[in-house]
Amino acid sequence: MSITCDWIQRNLPLYVYGELKLDEEERAQAHLDSCPECQGALDKLTAMNQALDSAAPEMPEHLLASARRGLRERVSAVREVAAESSLWSRAIAWLGGPGMIWKPAGALALVALAFYGGRMTERGPVSVAAPGSAAAATRVRFVEADPSGRGVRISLDETRQRLVKGSLEDPSIRQLLLTAARDANDPGIRAESVEMLCSRSGESEIRDALLYAVEHDANAGVRTKALGGLKAFSKDKQTRQVLTRVLLKDSNSGVRTQAIDVLTQTPSQDMVAPLQELMRREDNDYVRMRTQRVLSQMNASPGIF
Amino acid sequence: MDVSGELVQTARVHWASMDESSLIRAAQKGDQEAFEQLVRSYDQGVLRLANRLLRSTEDAYDIYQEAFLRVYKNLGNFRFDCSFQTWLYRIVTNLCLDALRKRKVRKEEPATIDTSDGPRDRMSLVEDGAAGNDPQRNLLSAEVKSRIDSTLRGLTPRERMVFEMRHYEGMRLRAIGETLGTTEEAAKNCLFRATQKMRVALGEFV
Repeated sequence: MSITCDWIQRNLPLYVYGELKLDEEERAQAHLDSCPECQGALDKLTAMNQALDSAAPEMPEHLLASARRGLRERVSAVREVAAESSLWSRAIAWLGGPGMIWKPAGALALVALAFYGGRMTERGPVSVAAPGSAAAATRVRFVEADPSGRGVRISLDETRQRLVKGSLEDPSIRQLLLTAARDANDPGIRAESVEMLCSRSGESEIRDALLYAVEHDANAGVRTKALGGLKAFSKDKQTRQVLTRVLLKDSNSGVRTQAIDVLTQTPSQDMVAPLQELMRREDNDYVRMRTQRVLSQMNASPGIF
Repeated sequence: MDVSGELVQTARVHWASMDESSLIRAAQKGDQEAFEQLVRSYDQGVLRLANRLLRSTEDAYDIYQEAFLRVYKNLGNFRFDCSFQTWLYRIVTNLCLDALRKRKVRKEEPATIDTSDGPRDRMSLVEDGAAGNDPQRNLLSAEVKSRIDSTLRGLTPRERMVFEMRHYEGMRLRAIGETLGTTEEAAKNCLFRATQKMRVALGEFV
């Protein structure tokens, strides 16, 4: 099959990108060698591609390093939460004992279990399988010889499992989640609880819990989730005050960046001084860049004079 | 170098010499070093693509974070049904398409930005920080740049994706088709249309 000029000019992009089949490429090459018109079209396409290459935006040098650092921090936060959750999975299995199969009963059940489990493990139980007991875990309080002279008497503290199901409409469920979000020793449970509470952040009690978590939780993953639930409150005075403090003191650049995002949803001159202060102390290139941009949009200088 | 430093160095050398499948399997088992090595194999391309598509270093940074975090969280589900690159770019292109759609809805990305020197093209601002003194770039007239930018923005999202991945990332059309959930032939047609639009827009300049 001979190659026509129409075919060549239609398929020139494939030719320059090396996407033609081998035999097509050879015939195209032969045609181009003998056809000045098609060669001219190829030259134009090559020139256009060079112009496109020259016009492509280049990345600022720091961007890749900054992105890698940010990712490392975020992965680390995810790992921390996952490790703790895994610990709790093992604890729950231990609570269930042999033969107990947990079917998916929803995250609420997990929260409730972990909550009660947390209460129990704080006391450092010695677990035994008590005969005839439906208890999840048992702690031997004391052992003594039976006064009758036959056998022994064993006093037990038992912790029972309870599966709690319900929606966030239910005040008792909300209360459980609020407690788990604040008191549990486990970031995984806190993260799950905070995430669920975020959907009800319009309620002041829940918003207070989110504000507490975003400012005080030791885990960056939990703080990030809490921030997500506060996005709708960028105009709320108390929220802004807390987020301003977070902006200046949080150790995680991802959290600081999110705090900027939430605060600047409602630009306000009261942000200028904290942002300038952030510019002064911030060592993360990306956070600096974003802060600078916000200040510039507010027609404020990046420094304090 | 102390002992721990040597160990880290040894691990890096070890991973660098491994093939991609082994790296993925190690990362699936929770090996952090293997995951980082895997990220480093592709992250420059991902960041470049997002930066070019969205014309914003901040948005590119966000896409990078979200894409690799999704990779981290879902790597256990990767079954080698396609190449890792295809899987990764599927995530990246979906995120970029979402961002472009959202931007279209919010209309938050004007072509020009008001500066103290008057309105300036967003693209030229992005370049200012990084272009340096490359004579070839300086020769390119502002008009051509502006025309290229507006033509790229005028492409359909799919044409844009295909064009960016083929022209700038050097991906094969077959892989691009797989990434975008379509055929090689469809990707080829997108490339034809995108190139044709470019030719029409830039014909008088080149």
